[in-house]
Amino acid sequence: MNFLAWLESTAASEWVRGSPSLFAFPGILSAHTVGMGLAAGINAAIALRILGVAPNVSITEMKRFLPAMWFGFWLNFVSGIGLLIGYPTKALTNPDFYLKLALIAGGVWLVGRIQERIEGGGARRLAVASLVCWGGAITAGRLLAYTYRHLMAGR
Amino acid sequence: MANFQVALVHWLANAAPPIAEFMRSKWGWPMAESIHFLGLSMLVGCIGLFDLRLLGMAKRIPIAALHKLIPWGLLGFAINITSGSLFLLTEPDQYIYNPSFQFKVLFITLAGANALTFYATTYGRATRPDAPPDAPRTAKVIAAVSLSLWIGVIVCGRLLTFFRPGDCGPAGPGVIADCTPRR
Repeated sequence: MNFLAWLESTAASEWVRGSPSLFAFPGILSAHTVGMGLAAGINAAIALRILGVAPNVSITEMKRFLPAMWFGFWLNFVSGIGLLIGYPTKALTNPDFYLKLALIAGGVWLVGRIQERIEGGGARRLAVASLVCWGGAITAGRLLAYTYRHLMAGR
Repeated sequence: MANFQVALVHWLANAAPPIAEFMRSKWGWPMAESIHFLGLSMLVGCIGLFDLRLLGMAKRIPIAALHKLIPWGLLGFAINITSGSLFLLTEPDQYIYNPSFQFKVLFITLAGANALTFYATTYGRATRPDAPPDAPRTAKVIAAVSLSLWIGVIVCGRLLTFFRPGDCGPAGPGVIADCTPRR
C-alpha cells in the first residue's frame, strides 16, 4: 500500500487524475477506447474470416492488417499505463483487473497461434477462443469502473 | 432549439419506464455499456478495416471480397444504436444538453452520409471484377473521412462524462474523472 500511496502522490499521477486538460484523463481514456476498437476489432475481423465470413478473402492475406491491430494494442499498452499511474490502487486491488490482463495475454498469445495454424488449416477453435478473449477483455475492462473496492490508497 | 430539446428530454424520460428501471438496477447500466463497447469494436474492426484496405493496406485482397465484412460492421452499429438508446431513455438530460453528445450524433450522421456517397459514386468502380488493386482516389478520400469520423464518434462518446450538464460529484460540471451514473 505504501508504494501505491507514493505513486498517487507523484506529479504524473496527480496530472492524470486532476488536470483540467482534455489531454489528461479524458484524452488518455479516449485513446484507450480507439486502441480497443482497433486491437479487439481487427482480431475479431480475422476470427470472423476464419469462421467463414467473406470466404473469397485469402485468410493468409488478412495478416496484412496486423500492423494496424498492433498499433491499437501498443496505443492501449501506453494509455493503459497512463490510466494505471492515475489510479494504481483502483486497478491493482481489483481482481477484475487481473482477469482483464489474463484475457488480453490469452488474446495476444492466440494472434501468433492463429497465424501458425492458418498455414495448416484448422484455426476455427482458436478463432472462437480469440473472440472470447477479446470480448471478455472488453467486458472486464468496462466493469472495472463498477467493481473496484478502493479508489485510492487508504480509502 | 431549446424548446425542442426540452420536449425531447420529456418524451424520452417517459417513453419506456421499464427500460429506465432496468438500467438503474445494479448491473443494467454496466451491462449495456459493455455491449456498447463490443459493438464499437465490431464496427471499427469491420468498417475501419475496409477503410484501411481502400487506403492501400492489404492490396492483394480484392475490395469486393473484403466488402462482405461490412454487414458485420453494420451489425455492430445496430447493436450500438440499440444499447445507446438505453442510456438515452434512462438519463435523457445527460445527453440531449451535452455538447459531446451533439457532436457525436453529428459525426455519426456525417459518417452515414459519407458511406452513402461511397455507394453512390465509386463503389461500383472499386468492386467490379477487373478492378485494379489500388482503389480510386475518391474511394481513398471517403475512407480517410470515414476513419476520421468514427474516431471522432468514439472520442465524443468517451468524453460524454466530462461534459455532463448539471452536477455530478463535488466539482460540478466540467472535467469529472470519477463520475459514475447517478441514482
